[in-house]
Amino acid sequence: MVRSALSSIGTALSQTWRAVKASTDASVLATARFLGFLYGPIDRSLPVDQALKKTLNYRLAPHVGWRHSFGGIAYLLFVILVATGVMLVFYYRPSPQEAHASVQHIVSDVAFGWLVRDVHAWSANLIVIALLLHIGRVFLEASYKPPRETNWLIGLLLMVVVFLFGASGYLLPWDQWSYWLVAEITHAMESLPMFGATMAEAVRGDEVVSGATLSRFFALHVVLLPWVAAALLVYHFTLVRRRGIAPPMGVPGDAPKDVVGSGIPFFPDHLLRSLIVSALVIAVVITLAAFFPRPVGDPADISTVPDSLVTTWLLADVARALIRYVGPWLFIALVALLGGLVVLPLFDRRPARQLRDRRIALLLGAGFVLIFAAAWYAGRQMRDTPPSIAVEPRAVAVEPSPISTEPLGPSPIRPAPSADEGGVP
Amino acid sequence: MTRSRQFQLTVAFLALATALAPRPAHASVFVLAQVRVTLDSTYGCVSCHSEMRRSFIAGIHSEWGMRCHDCHGGDPGAFEIPAGHRQPFLGTPTKRETVQLCASCHSDPNQMRQYGLPADQLAEFRTSRHGELLLTRGINDGPACTDCHDAHTILPPEDARSDVHPTNISATCATCHDDAEMMAPYGIPVDQFETYRQSAHGTSLYEEGNYAAPTCANCHGSHAALPAPPGEVPNVCGQCHVLVRQEFYAGPHGDATLAGELAGCLACHSQHGTEHIPSDGVQATCRECHESGGPSDAIAGALQETLVQAEQDLEAARRSIEELVLHGRDVTTARLRFRTAQANQLQLELVQHSLDSVRIEDLSRRVRSTSRGIQEMAEVSSERRWEHKLMAIPVWFLALAVVAFSAIKLSVVRRSRD
Repeated sequence: MVRSALSSIGTALSQTWRAVKASTDASVLATARFLGFLYGPIDRSLPVDQALKKTLNYRLAPHVGWRHSFGGIAYLLFVILVATGVMLVFYYRPSPQEAHASVQHIVSDVAFGWLVRDVHAWSANLIVIALLLHIGRVFLEASYKPPRETNWLIGLLLMVVVFLFGASGYLLPWDQWSYWLVAEITHAMESLPMFGATMAEAVRGDEVVSGATLSRFFALHVVLLPWVAAALLVYHFTLVRRRGIAPPMGVPGDAPKDVVGSGIPFFPDHLLRSLIVSALVIAVVITLAAFFPRPVGDPADISTVPDSLVTTWLLADVARALIRYVGPWLFIALVALLGGLVVLPLFDRRPARQLRDRRIALLLGAGFVLIFAAAWYAGRQMRDTPPSIAVEPRAVAVEPSPISTEPLGPSPIRPAPSADEGGVP
Repeated sequence: MTRSRQFQLTVAFLALATALAPRPAHASVFVLAQVRVTLDSTYGCVSCHSEMRRSFIAGIHSEWGMRCHDCHGGDPGAFEIPAGHRQPFLGTPTKRETVQLCASCHSDPNQMRQYGLPADQLAEFRTSRHGELLLTRGINDGPACTDCHDAHTILPPEDARSDVHPTNISATCATCHDDAEMMAPYGIPVDQFETYRQSAHGTSLYEEGNYAAPTCANCHGSHAALPAPPGEVPNVCGQCHVLVRQEFYAGPHGDATLAGELAGCLACHSQHGTEHIPSDGVQATCRECHESGGPSDAIAGALQETLVQAEQDLEAARRSIEELVLHGRDVTTARLRFRTAQANQLQLELVQHSLDSVRIEDLSRRVRSTSRGIQEMAEVSSERRWEHKLMAIPVWFLALAVVAFSAIKLSVVRRSRD
């Protein structure tokens, strides 16, 4: 009786599976591919299972190796950030009165809240490193050269978006360190020529960092930036597939397309390699989160400048060093150099990919690595110093005092003592 | 233009002319309304004494409508020197005359009532050493009213520019009391102001901006300035340190002070230095009077040990709270308990003046117990964080298993493909 019941359940399940397969369009795979989880083209004329098999059999270019995994790691960290971010939003409350207490609640009371929060914080650091390594690899291998200029620009835009994610997320714990770091950065922004003050006020939404700033940072972090990042990522992946992965450095000229029939199979080779990298990255993130949790500072207090500013984000260190040592004009020069990196593919169009043929580009890249590393190191050294910003009371127009405050002369009634005034008995 | 229109214009013109017409400047002396005195060119005194005009109109007397001739006499309506200095004319009054002059209004309750001012300053001044010197003995080293309040720019004590404002009054006293030559005949040391400035009181006033901190006038009196005799010192200090005074008189040192054998608070704390004796300096202070190794020394040693221990307990609790904050724990309860421990420790500092060993022991036990509770909270939190680290073991086990499986599978697949 049990056997016949099991058999009828099995039949029903297999019928359901067949019905699902028949009624599911292969476009669902296109969506997965769109999001970067599949690589090869999707044959939409086939049923979904056969289309999946076909796309899994796709072969990548033979030179695709471990060094190409930095981009994948950055994407994995992005997915981790989205997942942990969604979990945090269940408990986080974006208001000056509740933000700090809600973070305390997440860390202290919510089951595994500490893990989710610290994995989020550490992923935000590691994604910057992974991105920089990915960009460095693309730069060194000259993968930005035609026909991949657009993707280089999209990649740089994605880097900016990741930086904005970090900057906007940094304020959300609403503790003294995050508050005063954002105050310091927006204060420095004010000293930028021309539009500095307007820009700083637009960022803050107020004259000082306040609840208005918290609201807009939260909206940026949780509502706006995820959509911008998703759109850019999808386009980034699409261009990677359309233009193919760039050829190795020794091969001049245009890139050979990924080849069907030769090269590395997407499944199982590439997926297994991805699995190895993913397992290691996740283990590293969790270990860092468990061993080095981000401390929670005292609640943000506008009237108390902290004695030291603990920074917990890589770029926060860089920003502090730039603010302390670089004036506004030098900062603009630095931005102009970064602009040079952006427009690099427009000028460096020669087919040569070897490093010895690209000395100026190499110099530019090395300069940036050096400046970044030096700024990060200098920022680390400033961890125990207070923020440079002090609360500056705004000048308030007051009526001039009707009472003169000029220094008064000597009292006319008590001239220098004379002999006839009487002596001491 | 109609007749009524002409009438309206005439009335308007007359009203305007009346409003703008110059008035005799000295017409409204002692008006009760607050009037700013301009002392313009129609007022004769200022045509020569223009430098005094500016300082006088900055003061409170000009604000209430007083003029030069109210103190100096003469005729301000005249513009020639002999006519302007017509009798009764005082010119520059002597110190004694100054006191008389000020007292003519300030000792009159009927005049002072409207300004909410006391009228007993002269009576107080007569009881002071300053008044005795100036009024009884006729020695001009004694200050007159204008030496402390300025002659013309007289400001209320609440005004930060006033010489008698809490932040300025001690320096005002020091203008004479720092003068070694002037103080020498009276045997008064001249380092009091500097000592006071570095004292607990001076630090509180000048560095922490606590206007309630005592100045010279709070302990010695202002108009009735005199040093307190030793027996009165606990009462002077006790005006602010009310509870310390109570504890002090409840103990053996209070009895000794009442018997005239001890200089009250000054036996341990210096008068102008008012230094806070650190907990680990209690025994050394006691040894200034009590013999080392004697029974009193043993009590002092036990007291010092208790006080030091309480301070250490409190410090440990403070560090524990800092640790809890870093761990992201809600420290509301811990902070409330810390405040309780702080209150107990403050009480302990009070009760030490009575040398009541039972209460001292009870309070120190409370500080220790509360502090221990806070430390335990931090220990629990630290243990939890240590447990978090254990999570790395299964995570790495799983991760390495995945890596091993994938590597083996990859190698098998490649080998079979080859």
